[in-house]
Amino acid sequence: MRQYELMVILDPEVEERTVAPSLDKYLSVITTEGGTVDKVDIWGRRRLAFDIAKKSEGIYAVVDFTATADTAKELDRQLGLNEVVLRTKILRTGVR
Amino acid sequence: MAKPVVRKPKKKTNPLKSAKIASIDYKDTALLRKFISDRGKIRARRVTGVSVQEQRKIAKAVKNAREMALLPYSSSAR
Repeated sequence: MRQYELMVILDPEVEERTVAPSLDKYLSVITTEGGTVDKVDIWGRRRLAFDIAKKSEGIYAVVDFTATADTAKELDRQLGLNEVVLRTKILRTGVR
Repeated sequence: MAKPVVRKPKKKTNPLKSAKIASIDYKDTALLRKFISDRGKIRARRVTGVSVQEQRKIAKAVKNAREMALLPYSSSAR
């Protein structure tokens, strides 16, 4: 098990209220595969430094979680398939 | 014969040490903005005055922040 930090940029057109529940749904793969979600921090709407998919804003969320490498990879794959997700980044925390 | 002028380079104070910053995080855009020029380029180490190891971490953090659209790749504000 390793500690990871995930950052996602979601489509600004989704309702801000629905972000937390839908994020929980996307993260369910972590718990079903035996990992834990440690912290979810929704930054909210934020201006992008440059346009992504013709959008100048995005809803940012940062999630700390503990999972195996395979789970992290699977989560990244599933988020990438999701149309609402503009961009993701998973980094390992607590190394070096 | 003219004596070559020996210039003593001015020692820069390490901005990270004086600000007491232990780890460099790509999410801390306020900090990283100090290390990029107004065109969005990463400032050289001789300008910033940080150590080699720190400069490497800063460069990596800036690049990660750019990927997540937190910092610009280039800002053509001339």
